[in-house]
Amino acid sequence: MMDLAVRDIRHDLGRFVLTAVGLGMLLSVVLAMTGIYNGMVVDATVVPDSLGADLWVVQRDSQGPFAESSRVPQRLAERLRAIPGVARTRSYVAFNVQQTTPEGVTRRFMAAGLSWPDDHGDMLPLAQGRALRAPHYELVADASLNLPLGSQFKIGRDAYSVVGVTRGMVSSSGDPMLFVSIADALKIQNDLANEAMRIETEARIGRVKRSSFGRDPASLERAAQSQLPALAPPPVSAVLLDLEPGQDVESVRERLSHWPDITVYTTDEQRALLVRGVIDRARRQIGLFRSLLVIISAIVMGLIVYTMTLDKMHSLALLKLLGARRIVILRLIIEEALLLGLLSFVVALLIGEFMFDLFPRRVLVGDADRLALALVVAGISVAAGVVGLRKALSADPNQVLAS
Amino acid sequence: MTPTQTNIVLSAESLSKVYGEGPLRVEALKPKSFTARAGEVVAILGPSGSGKSTLLTILGLINPPTTGSLRIGPTQVIENGRAVANLDQQRRQQIGFVFQRSNLIPFLNAEENVRLALELDDVPPAQSRTRARTILESLGLGKRLHALPSRLSGGEAQRVAIARALIHKPAIVLADEPTASLDSHRGRQVMELFREAAHAQGAAVLVVTHDHRTLDLVDRILEMEDGVLTEKAYAAPGETSHA
Repeated sequence: MMDLAVRDIRHDLGRFVLTAVGLGMLLSVVLAMTGIYNGMVVDATVVPDSLGADLWVVQRDSQGPFAESSRVPQRLAERLRAIPGVARTRSYVAFNVQQTTPEGVTRRFMAAGLSWPDDHGDMLPLAQGRALRAPHYELVADASLNLPLGSQFKIGRDAYSVVGVTRGMVSSSGDPMLFVSIADALKIQNDLANEAMRIETEARIGRVKRSSFGRDPASLERAAQSQLPALAPPPVSAVLLDLEPGQDVESVRERLSHWPDITVYTTDEQRALLVRGVIDRARRQIGLFRSLLVIISAIVMGLIVYTMTLDKMHSLALLKLLGARRIVILRLIIEEALLLGLLSFVVALLIGEFMFDLFPRRVLVGDADRLALALVVAGISVAAGVVGLRKALSADPNQVLAS
Repeated sequence: MTPTQTNIVLSAESLSKVYGEGPLRVEALKPKSFTARAGEVVAILGPSGSGKSTLLTILGLINPPTTGSLRIGPTQVIENGRAVANLDQQRRQQIGFVFQRSNLIPFLNAEENVRLALELDDVPPAQSRTRARTILESLGLGKRLHALPSRLSGGEAQRVAIARALIHKPAIVLADEPTASLDSHRGRQVMELFREAAHAQGAAVLVVTHDHRTLDLVDRILEMEDGVLTEKAYAAPGETSHA
C-alpha cells in the first residue's frame, strides 16, 4: 500500500515544513527550559563541588555560606586543624561585587578567597592559564567575565593579574566567579576609604580615652599611630575541612558537634541546601513554566493536526467511499502527526545545538532530556493524531456524491 | 446473447428508502425490483429530487435501504434491509465510482489515483503500478502518469477517474453525471469508454445523467420520478435505445 501520509506531505511540503519549524521553535523553548533548569542546579552546586571539601564548618545554626550568611573567625581554621583526622583546613569567603565601568557597563561577579598558601586553586576547572602562584594580586576568573589572560583587572584600590581562566564557574545566581587569595578577598571585602579610616581612628582614640588605658599616654600614642588594629580581624564565611585518606566523615563530624560555635555540613548537605533553598523557587517556577509549555505545545499540535485533517476531509470521504479500511485512514492521520512531531523535534534539537550556547546562563541538555522530550513529542503527536482521527472517521462518503 | 450478457451482476429486490417518521415521513425510493446484466450500460434519468441520488447511495452501499435485498456480483450484500456482507470490502471489490467532478485525490498523481483502487484491496504495489499504467495508456494518458489532478484538464481527470473505477474489474460501475462538466464531444467519448469497458470487463454501468445527448449510447433507460423507478425503454446490448 502506497504511503498516503508521505504523499500528502509532499504535496504541500513547504507548508508542512514551515509548520514543523514553528512547532519546533516552541519545542525548543521546552528544551531550553529543561536546560536552564538543569543549568541552574549545576550552577548552584558547581562551587561546593569544585572546592571538594569533606566538611564545611560554618557559623552556629547558620545554613551558610551559600544559602545564608555565615561568619566564623579566621582562627577557627587553626583550631580545626588540631582535630585528629583533619588533613587540611581552608578558610573560605565569598561575596558579590558589582562594578560599573567608565563606559557605563555594569559587571557583576562573585569574588571568592582561596586559602593561601594551602589552596592555590588547583582544583578549579581551568580552561586557560594556571592557578595562583603568589599570595597577592593574582586572580583566576571565569571565562564569562571576559577578562583576557594576562590582563590587569582593578578591584577596589588594587589591580590584579588574570593568571587563569575557568569555564562554567558561576555562583548560584549565575554570576561569574573570580578567585583571589583569601587575604586579597578580605582586603577587597573590608576595604575602607581614607575618610572612613580616619573616622574609625578618631573613634578608636575616643574609646581609649574613655577607658582606664586613656590615662596612659603611651596607649594613646599607639592608638593614634594605628599600631592597634582599627577593627578585629575580619571573619571568613566558612572553613573547609579535608580529611585524611580513609578517615570517617561522620566520626569527625560527631566530634565537632560538641563545639558550641559552629555547625558542620557535608558537601552533599551543602548541595541540598542550595537546591532546596537558594534556587528552589526559581527551579519550581521554571518547572511549572516548562509544564505549561508542554501543554501549549500539545494544544497547538492538536489544532494543527485537526486543521490538516479538515483540509482533506473530502479526500478522506472519497477514501471511505472507495472502501478504505479504518487502518488506512488511521495510518494516514497518525503517521502525519508523528512525522510532524519528528520534524519539529529535530528542529528543536538543531535550535538547541546552535542557540543554547549563546544564552547568558548555562543551558544543560542531556541525552535523558532529549529522550524525555522525544517521548513527550511522541505522546503529543499520538494525542493530536487521535484528535484528527476522530474528525477523519466522521468523514461522510455522501459528501463525495453531493459535491 | 452471449452467456456474459445474460449474467446478472446486480439484482435489487423491493428496494425502498424512507426518511423520517410520522408527518415527516418521506418515501424517497418506493419499493422496486430491477436487475442489471454484465455488459449493460443503464441510464437513470429523472429530475432533481426524484430519488436518483438516494438510489445511487443505496447501490453504492453508502446508505442502507429501508427494505429490500441487494446482490452485487456473486455476493448477497443486503438482506431485508440489513447488511449481510462487509460493505467496505464490497465497495473495494465490486463497485467502481465515477462522479460529475473527477473527485481525484489531490495529493496523488494520475497513476497513484488509479493504483489506489487496487492497493486499498491489498494488491501489491508492483502489480498495481503495471495495471494502472496499462489502463491509463489505453485511455491515452500514458504521458500524464505523474501529473497531479490540478495539472490535468477536465477531460483527462475524468478519464483518470474512469480508469480508477474500472481497474479492479468491478461488477458494477456507478456513474453520477459523469459527462455534466464536459463538452458534447468529450461527453460522448466518456460514454463510449463506459460502453467499451462494460463489454470488455463484463460490468454493468449505471449512469445517472441529465445529458440526453449521449442516451443513444446506453442499453437501457430507467426513469425516476417521485421515488418511483420505471423502465423507460430497453434495447438489447449492442443495439441502441432512443429515449
